[in-house]
Amino acid sequence: MGNDDYALIRSVLAGEKDAYGLLVARHSQSVFRVAFRITENEADADEVVQEAFLRGYRKLEDFDARSNFRTWIYRIAMNCALDVLNKKRSRTVVPIAGEYDSEEATVQLADRTAGPDRLLLSQEIAARRQAAMEKLTATERIAFVMRHMEDRSTDEIAGALGIAPNSAKQAVFRAVQKLRQSLAPLWVKS
Amino acid sequence: MKHLTEEEMIEHYYSEDLYKAEAEIHLQACKQCAQTYEELGKLLGHVRAVDAPERGPEYGAQVWQSIQGSLRPYPPKRKRSFFMWPQFAYAAACLLFLVGAFWAGRLWEHAHTKTLVASNPQQTKERVVLFVLDNHLDRSERLLVQLNHAGGEEENTGFPLQAEARQLLSDNQLYRQSAAQTNDPLLNAALDHLERVLVEVANSPDQLSTADIERIQQEMNTQGLLFQIRVLRTKVSEQKTNAQAVTKGANI
Repeated sequence: MGNDDYALIRSVLAGEKDAYGLLVARHSQSVFRVAFRITENEADADEVVQEAFLRGYRKLEDFDARSNFRTWIYRIAMNCALDVLNKKRSRTVVPIAGEYDSEEATVQLADRTAGPDRLLLSQEIAARRQAAMEKLTATERIAFVMRHMEDRSTDEIAGALGIAPNSAKQAVFRAVQKLRQSLAPLWVKS
Repeated sequence: MKHLTEEEMIEHYYSEDLYKAEAEIHLQACKQCAQTYEELGKLLGHVRAVDAPERGPEYGAQVWQSIQGSLRPYPPKRKRSFFMWPQFAYAAACLLFLVGAFWAGRLWEHAHTKTLVASNPQQTKERVVLFVLDNHLDRSERLLVQLNHAGGEEENTGFPLQAEARQLLSDNQLYRQSAAQTNDPLLNAALDHLERVLVEVANSPDQLSTADIERIQQEMNTQGLLFQIRVLRTKVSEQKTNAQAVTKGANI
C-alpha cells in the first residue's frame, strides 16, 4: 500500500491532480474515524477530514518518500482536530463548576441494579464522560484518544502533536487525572 | 513500603512503565495500591471510544468532490535530464573550479618563468665571472704563497714561477679592466696590486735570486697582497654560493 501511495503521490506531483482523489478515497474512512473519536462530533470530524486532505495536498511536496502516507495524513488530521477543538473551545464557554455533583451521582447509583436504572446509569456515565472529555484541553484530549482509544505509543503521540515525548506522557496523565476526578465518584459506592 | 503514584499506575495501565515487574510485585503485595489500581482500571475501562457513524464507500469520493475545486494541479515537472541533477551541478562547479585553478596556476607560472628567463642571462654571466675570478684568485694565491716561501730557499726559484706570473698577468689585466667598471674598491685595489706584483715577477730575469724575491716581497708587500687575495676569495666564494642558491630557487 505504501508503494502504491507513493506512486500516486508522484503522479499528483507530476500534475495529475485526480490521483490525489484515489488517496483521499483510500484513507478518508480511517481519518474520519479518528477525527470523530477526538471531536465526538460528526460535522467537526468531517471538517477535520476535509481540512486534513486539503493541507496534505498543499504540503505534498514536503512528503518524505520514506514515510508512510497514512501516518503522515493522520498526523495532519491530529493538527486539524487540534485547531477545530481550540476553535470550538474559544466559541463555547464550558462551565467549570457544577458539572459534577457527587451527591447526585451517589443518589443515581443507589439503585443501579434495576434494569431501567442501569440504562439510566449508562446514559449518566456517557454524559459525564463526555462532559469530562470537554474539560480536557485539546492537547490532552488528542493525547488521551490516541493513547487510550487508538492504542498509540507515547512517541507516536508526541510526533503527531509535535511535542516532546515527556510532554505527551504528561498530557495523557493529566487527561486521566481529570477523567478520574470527574468519573470516579460514579464507582465509589458501586 | 513505597506506594505507587498515580502517574506510575497510569503508566502501568498502559504498559509504558519502565519497571513493570516491580510494579506488578508491589500491586500483589499492597492491598491499598491494588484497590486504587483496580478502580483506575474500571474507570478507564468504561471510557470507551464513541462509535463513529458509518461512512459509506462513497465517502472518499464525497470528500474529494468537496476539496478538489480548491486544489491547483502541481505544475508538470520537466523530465530531469542528467545535466539537471543537483549532484551534477555540484560536480560541474567543482570541476570548473579545478580547471580554473589549474589555468590560473599555469598563467602565473608562465608569467613568473618569463621573469626568471629574462633574468637568467644576467645571472649566468655573473656566475661565470665569479667562477673565473675565483679561479684566477686561487691561482694568484698559490703563486703568492710560492713567492713568499721562496725567499728562504738557497737556489733560484726557476722558470715555473715566472711563466705562471706571465699567464696570470694577461688574465689579470682583463679582470682589472672589468672590475674598474664595477663599484668594488677592494677588488679594484687588489687586482691593481696583484698586477704590479705579476709584472714585477714576470719581467724579472729568468733566474730569480733569493735577493730578488726578498726585494719583491718587501717592495710589493706580497704578504699584504696575499691577505687581500684571501679575503677576496672568501667574498667571491660567498657570492658564488648565493648565485647558485638563487638559480636553484628559480628552477624550482
